[in-house]
Amino acid sequence: MMMNSQDKITASQAVVVLVNYILATGILTLPRTSVEKVKSPDVWISVFLGGIIAIIAAVIIVKLSQKYPEKTFYQYSQDIVGKWAGWFLSLLIIVYFFTISAFEVRIMAEVTSIFLLEGTPTWAIILPFLWIGLYLISSGINAIARLFEIIFPITFVLFLLIALMSMGIFEIDNLRPVLGLGVMPVLKGVKTATLAFLGPEIMLLLVALMKQSEKTKAVKVVLVGLTIPLIFYVITVVMVIGALSIDGVVTRTWPTLELMRSFEIPGLIFERFESFLLVIWIMQIFATFTITYFAAALGLAQLFKKNIQPFIFGLLPIIYIISMTPKNINDLFKFGDMIGNAALYLFGVFPVILLFISKLKGRKT
Amino acid sequence: MWEKILAYIPEWKVFMQGFIVFFIPYIIFKLFNGIVSKQEMNDDDMVKMTGQTTQKNELDYQKETSPKELYDHYTGDFNLDVELVKKEIGHNWDVHFREFNIGNTDIRAAIIFLDGLSDKELIDKHILTSLMGDFSQKDEQESLYEKGDFLQKIIKNEVLSVSDLTEEYDVKQSVGKILAGSTALIIDGMPNVLMLGTVKGKSRNIEEPVSEALVRGPRLGFTETLSDNTALLRQHGENSDLSIINFQVGKRTKKELVIAYVKEIADPNLVEEVKKRIQTINIDDVAESGYVEQLIEDNYLSPFTQVQNTERPDRVFAALMEGRVAILLDGTPFALIVPVTFSMLLQSPEDYYERWLPSTLIRLLRYLAAAITLFAPSIYISFVSFHQGLIPTKLALSMMGTREGVPFPAIIEALIMEVAIEILREAGLRLPKPIGPTMGIVGGLVIGEAAVQAGIVSPIMVIVVALTAISSFAIPQYNAGISLRMLRFVAMFFAALFGLYGVILFFILLCSHLVKLKSFGIPYVSPTVPYRASDWKDFMVRMPLMMMKRRPKMLHTKDSSRQD
Repeated sequence: MMMNSQDKITASQAVVVLVNYILATGILTLPRTSVEKVKSPDVWISVFLGGIIAIIAAVIIVKLSQKYPEKTFYQYSQDIVGKWAGWFLSLLIIVYFFTISAFEVRIMAEVTSIFLLEGTPTWAIILPFLWIGLYLISSGINAIARLFEIIFPITFVLFLLIALMSMGIFEIDNLRPVLGLGVMPVLKGVKTATLAFLGPEIMLLLVALMKQSEKTKAVKVVLVGLTIPLIFYVITVVMVIGALSIDGVVTRTWPTLELMRSFEIPGLIFERFESFLLVIWIMQIFATFTITYFAAALGLAQLFKKNIQPFIFGLLPIIYIISMTPKNINDLFKFGDMIGNAALYLFGVFPVILLFISKLKGRKT
Repeated sequence: MWEKILAYIPEWKVFMQGFIVFFIPYIIFKLFNGIVSKQEMNDDDMVKMTGQTTQKNELDYQKETSPKELYDHYTGDFNLDVELVKKEIGHNWDVHFREFNIGNTDIRAAIIFLDGLSDKELIDKHILTSLMGDFSQKDEQESLYEKGDFLQKIIKNEVLSVSDLTEEYDVKQSVGKILAGSTALIIDGMPNVLMLGTVKGKSRNIEEPVSEALVRGPRLGFTETLSDNTALLRQHGENSDLSIINFQVGKRTKKELVIAYVKEIADPNLVEEVKKRIQTINIDDVAESGYVEQLIEDNYLSPFTQVQNTERPDRVFAALMEGRVAILLDGTPFALIVPVTFSMLLQSPEDYYERWLPSTLIRLLRYLAAAITLFAPSIYISFVSFHQGLIPTKLALSMMGTREGVPFPAIIEALIMEVAIEILREAGLRLPKPIGPTMGIVGGLVIGEAAVQAGIVSPIMVIVVALTAISSFAIPQYNAGISLRMLRFVAMFFAALFGLYGVILFFILLCSHLVKLKSFGIPYVSPTVPYRASDWKDFMVRMPLMMMKRRPKMLHTKDSSRQD
């Protein structure tokens, strides 16, 4: 069974998959990376603009996928640009998917070894994580979507809870003045902010995996699925900058976790809440890791027209080795930037061209 | 350029680890697949083997029976017929033969019945009295008695006052019925026997079920008699759609099994699936409904129970009205309900009998109890041995203070206590009632006081263990409680290895397993996911009854509305 015909998801499940995919590293690093570029408190406007750009890109991707509602990108790209070019393009995207999944795994290992498990070797942290991912994705998109649906409400509730708790050290003055340095700094940060919204590319496959009756809702799916992370990110950026000020944000590697460390609410069982944030964050990373891992395995299975099982196993060591390649955390962040740039071309430029070509072809026939 | 790339090629150790990453799960996967496929092969072999043997048997049978074909059926010759039956079951101590003359004639007759299973009062008062009484005046033409057919008609129509009466020609079949409690009546000159329904099995009174006590609700429980149990379901209320279909299970010891469902509600595919799975049961004796449960469940490697068992007719009926299917087996008071979802394990019939606010709160309490059962010891371990910094300083200090004299790491400390309390629970369960409380006092004293004073465990650990134990008993389904207690140990090991990260991993692993699991085609985690807002009215919160107008959507019922 290459793709079980029963194994389809609903529109609401697609939304959850999209949200869980997008929310990942960005929660912890977006305040720093964007402030580094913008250098003014107007970061939240950049994030907002970045989200809107991501929505536009996502709508283009969905429009393209809806032209071939029964096929994933790996199958229809060959219809549009011919067998070999389509094959090559699919392979690029597969490489992108498993690279990003390796990146997420490594980021998770780094954060865990700093904040939770000092002294535990990286491989020991990564191994069980990979195996659980393998166990989950071996039963297809439906199981993945259901797991995401369990994770999502937990993330939502805990995130709002800790965001509310950090209100205590929030200073509105840290966010003023609005547009004090003009519009230019805001625009500089848009690219970084857009990269935090990596994820709509999953719609290249997800439209094909959605239930027949709900495929028409795909545009709605990306609108909702991108608005929720947009809100999450704006809240994060506003809370972090409001509490730590832009000078404080730049000097910290994981500003959001630092925010959680910097206040205490006495009287509750827990006085510090970074453990809560880490819990939901690790779950979110797991979500991003599994969906990209699955996307890569599914791509290989469809390219070679084989069963997905051997590819799931075969990708495991590749993901592990890639994740162990960056030597330190700076390498890792550079690696992340590289992936981001690649994504801009792969999913910002290519879908437009492909959509154009397929429109031309459609007119001819 | 090249040097830069070369610098990034990881060490050989990483490649080794990469191989391990791939190899271990691959081996496990192959192993499980191997077990499953081997088992399937065995099953196939079994089928082939049995197929061959039955063929062989048939051949033997034909060979044997061809010369004495007469003995297959009753002959009409009294002595020969009695001999035939005697040859089959006459050696049994509890089979009784009683020979007599019919009416005041010379016609020989005999009744054969099983002591204990047959209703002796019925036999004495109604069968023997009427057969041995004088009924010659009813028919003047005595000669006609010679004609078997006419006699039989008279006996059937005018003499025997028994409601359940059939004719039987085949020896084997009639013997089977005798062994089930029917009485066979052999009359000289008749080519068949009359089977009289005198079955009166042993049963106990209907009592309140011990395993599922309720404060409010009917005080009825199933018994070991199947007909009583189906009667309890019928008695619940008039419902012409309630179908009760029977099967026979067990190759050597045949047992009655019925499935019950409401025709107008239950999904026909589900009913078909249940029937199909019951027909695949291939075992010599089905001793209890637990056998059925294990033979028809979806995944036998899962720690979770995928079939719900209950002793309460009201619970079964409520499930039927939701569109589920019940399976009842003769000889056990435990009925099975399929399909099962995780949320059902934390529900009690009382939730619906009490008002919605208290029921909702109690339900939330049970979810909390389940969470404590699973995670309390593991979170304790991870905080004590990894992240003292994450708990408030004062609490951390007092916890460390109480642990000062304890010589073991937290995992060993926790294991000692948890295993001790499991042993205590198991021992208390098996002991005769008068000794039970003694056990509790001794165990409680040893575990609570002495262990702390001896410095083996810390007082906070005792609190955690006690809380876990109490919580696990707050789960209404006994076997669900066991699964959670079992998984608690797994969680503890994860916590001992990876601290809080391990607990999160365990949670993700557990959820990954749960989302994969299905019970008769219904996802085990529904109604949690996929999101169906209408099913959430009866999930963690039990909404007021007037708002619960629809049956669970996940069951694909034929009639989704609970109202007209």
